[in-house]
Formats: sequence, C-alpha cells, structure tokens
Amino acid sequence: MTEPAIAEAAEPSIEEPPRRWRVTSLEVLCGVLVLALIGQGWFADRLAVPAIQTASTVFVAVCVQALPFLVVGVLISGAIAAFASADLLRRLLPKKAVFAVPVAGVAGIALPNCECAAIPVARRLIQQEVPAAVAVTFLLAAPAVNPIVLVATAVAFPGQPSMVLARFLGSMMTAVAMGWLWARFGKMEWFAERALRRLPEHSDGRSRWGVFFETARQDLVDAGGFLVVGGLTAAVLNVVVPRSWINTLGEQLVLGVIVMAVLAVVLALCSEADAFVVASLSTMPLLPKLVFLVVGPAIDIKLFALQAGTLGRKFATRFAPATFVVAIMSAIVVGAVILP
Amino acid sequence: MRRETQNILLVLLGGALLKISFTGTYLRYVKPSHQWLLITGGFVMVLLAAVSIVRDIRGARDEDDHGHAHTARSAWLLVLPVLAVFLVGPPALGADSVTRADGNAQSVPSTEGEGSALFPTLPKADPIALTLSEFSSRAAWDKRHSLDNRTARLVGFVVQDGGQTYVARLAITCCAADAFPVKIRLTGKDLSRFKDDSWIEVDVTLRPGSATRANEYVPSATTHAVQRIATPEDQYEH
Repeated sequence: MTEPAIAEAAEPSIEEPPRRWRVTSLEVLCGVLVLALIGQGWFADRLAVPAIQTASTVFVAVCVQALPFLVVGVLISGAIAAFASADLLRRLLPKKAVFAVPVAGVAGIALPNCECAAIPVARRLIQQEVPAAVAVTFLLAAPAVNPIVLVATAVAFPGQPSMVLARFLGSMMTAVAMGWLWARFGKMEWFAERALRRLPEHSDGRSRWGVFFETARQDLVDAGGFLVVGGLTAAVLNVVVPRSWINTLGEQLVLGVIVMAVLAVVLALCSEADAFVVASLSTMPLLPKLVFLVVGPAIDIKLFALQAGTLGRKFATRFAPATFVVAIMSAIVVGAVILP
Repeated sequence: MRRETQNILLVLLGGALLKISFTGTYLRYVKPSHQWLLITGGFVMVLLAAVSIVRDIRGARDEDDHGHAHTARSAWLLVLPVLAVFLVGPPALGADSVTRADGNAQSVPSTEGEGSALFPTLPKADPIALTLSEFSSRAAWDKRHSLDNRTARLVGFVVQDGGQTYVARLAITCCAADAFPVKIRLTGKDLSRFKDDSWIEVDVTLRPGSATRANEYVPSATTHAVQRIATPEDQYEH
C-alpha cells in the first residue's frame, strides 16, 4: 500500500527542479499576513490589557515619529554614496584627524538631523573612506547641536540662556572627545564587514541615480528593522520604569546625575522633546538636567540598537558605554563652569 | 530576505504612515504638526520601493549590486509596526498612563520665581474654557490667583483612582513616548458612575491652595456641571 504513495510523492521532485518548491521570504511574508488577518480578534483580545495597550501605543509612536527622520537620513546617505566621491570628501576635510574631528563637529550644526538619521549617514561616510574618527564625531554632534534642538531647548528653559549654551558645549565636547578617542584607540575591525563594503563605482549619470535609489532603499530596510527593536525596548521601559524615580531620586545632586543619565538612555526621547520633559522638574538642580540633555542625543537604547545593526555589534558594545561616560563627564565639566 | 519581499514591506510600511496621516489616527501617536512629515516619509518609502520594483522588472539592475550580497534578517521586524498600525491601531494613551505617574510635576514652570509673568490676565468669559495644563499650572503657581472664584470649563477623560475621581489629559511635546499626565481632582459631586477613559466636559471652580507640593501639585476643584461628550479627534494637549 505505501510503496506507490512514496513513488507518487517522489515523482514531481524528479521531474521538476527542486528550487521551485523552496519557500522564500515572499511566501513567509504572505503567510504571516494571512495568519495575522485570521488571528486579528485573538490578538486584539490579548492586547486589551491596559499596560500592554499603553506600551503598544508608545511603540507605534516611537516608530511613527522616527521613521520620517530615518527616511531623511537614508536619502542623505544615498546622495553621499552616489554623488560625493571619496576624493571630494577627502579634499573637503583637513588631512590630520586632530583637526578634521572638530570640523566634523561643526558640520553637525549645518545638518539638522534627528539622531536616527545620523547613523546611516555616518556609515556612508566611513564607506566613502572618510576617517572613522570624523564619522563618529559627526554621528554624535549632528543630533545634538543643530539649530532645531537648540531652539527647542531655549523655549523649554525661558530666561536661562546659559542652559542652551551649556547643552551646545556639552554635546560638542562629547562629540569631539569621542572623535579624538577614536583617532587614538579605535580599530576599524570593530565595524561589521558589511558596514565597510565599498559600493561599485559608477561613472555615467543614469547609474548614479540607480546607486542613489538602491543605497537609500537598502539603508532604510536595514536601519528600519533596528529602529523597531529600539522602539520595542523603549515602549517596554516606558511602562516598566516608574517616572516617580525622577521626582524622588532626582533631588540629590550626585544621585540625580546618575538617575538622569540612566533615564536618558532608557526613555529614548527624541532630541527635540527631551528639553521640555526635564524643564518641568523644578525641584531638580540644573546639572542633572544638563546631563540628561547631553547624554540623551548621544546614546540611548534606540540608538544602541541602530548602531549595533548598522555599524556592527562589536562597535556598539565598545562605543556606546564610552559615549555614555564621556557624555556624563562633559556635561559635568561644562555645567560646573557655565551653570549658575 | 529577498528584494521583492523587502519592497513589499516598504510599500506596506509607507502605506501605514500614509494611512494614519490621512485618517487622522496619527494624532494618537504624534503632535499635529508632524502630519506633513509622515506624509512625505510614507511617500518616499513607497517611491523607493516602487523604483526598485520597476528596475527589477526592467532588469536594469546590475546583477552584482550589493543588494544581493547580504540578507537583512532584521528587516523582518518591519512587519511589527505594519501589523500594529493596520490590524491593532493602538488607542491614544489614557487612564492607564495617568495612574502610572504620580502627580502633575510637569505643570511647574521652569522659572519658579517669575511665575506670575507666565500667566496673562484671563478673558472675561464665564465659564472660561481652559486646557487642563493651563488650569493646573495656574492653580499651582499663579501668584495673582487668577482662577479664584472663576468657573472654568474643562475637557478631559475620567480617571477613577483610590476612591477619587479625576479629570485628566495627557500633554505631549513630540510623540506619545514623551507624554506627561495632567489631572485635576473633582469634588462636590458623586462621579463614580463615570468609567475610566470616558470623556467629559466639566464646569468647575478651583479650591484655592489645593495644589501643593505634598500632593504633587494636583489641584482640587468643586464640580458644578458634568456632561458626557464624544472623544475629541486630538486627545492630547500640546
């Protein structure tokens, strides 16, 4: 009885090439979508718990808020890949890393970028043979010192222009210090191999546009996935970490600095909004607030996920903790000198 | 993941952004001025995918393009926001977020000493329509006591917490991740029949001096009239 059945089942695989039967990602995606449609009611019931609902709203909010900025980032990244040759970039930057690093910091002012946008741009700069020290400086400076963020800070702290100056100097110091640290200690092998892979050079105009679209699309797909990781983490922490930490622990100076630095990482607020969140805490001294504003745009949980995915895990596990420490120290130094 | 799948995901994700910005549900997640950003972002995403699809069909793409070289497994995660937007559509933050936080810390002006300069004279209207943020910061910080003996008309949702009834609202500066709650305790009427998250319009008079540091600057107000209303399109204050 069983023998003919086996023969029948085996037959098609002999006659037809086996790869026609391979399940590709396309079928998997269709399957996922169909399952999700069928299971919609079941999922909706599971999500009806208030805490989960709050977290899922925050998750969608983080994604929806950050995606347009990520799109801006991948378009710039695509433009660099297609239209700015490695030669051109090399001519624009000073030869020595010691001087090129501050130049990259200042360039951050001119490119109003959300922190998510800066990562694909930095990766593309490295690919175009810009020194990595310069790229990481730009990565840290662009989201923190641009005019939009500084104006938002000025609005959030009316009558305290020193806070705007302190934030600018603290972030710039973090970026430049990290750039110099990288020039001294950084190793190219920390980057993931795919982050460094050169694009094929194209000469004619038509394929330049091809490179532009293809690079932007690929960067968006890559970074988008990691943005989702960041969004998920931020959503969970947003619900789990009690905001009362800020009120009760923030009033002490030393403890306040530590708590605010950790909160800046776990809350993963966008750099345009963070000033408004801390400005409201009147009982807290200004220094912990400054620490929050300097650490937040430099490193948070969402950025860590993006860095690990785009530039490599080895890079992120070394770069992120170093940034965290340098940012806190920069904020303390600047705060001690400038803040009343 | 194959290029075709990536392109379909990008179309879906861009479509999700366009959908929420055209149907108005984007107001649950971000502030109103982000609408054009979402539309542009969604449009560019769909465009990038469309260009790639057209080039694939025409076969114009070089076979040695780097897109072939690596499989982006992380890209699968893009399914999550797509499903969340199209199938679940999480609601705006509500009572759960309010009970999670302690008080109205956010209503504190950053320059405490100049409090009254921040509060211009209120118009003559009676009752006077105020946002909860405005009401609560005037209650706590206005040295000229502009709210005393005035009837204010507030709009918000109900939060029942510890036997007390509050009218509450969430204020956002950028997106729902940075939302902070504003609540006002309602006294003088039994409002326990209102469920959490039901929207009301309520006429109240501030009980002077009720917003103190001890109660985290949550003011109390005497209730005159309550009316159930439809959920507003934009549920946040800005």
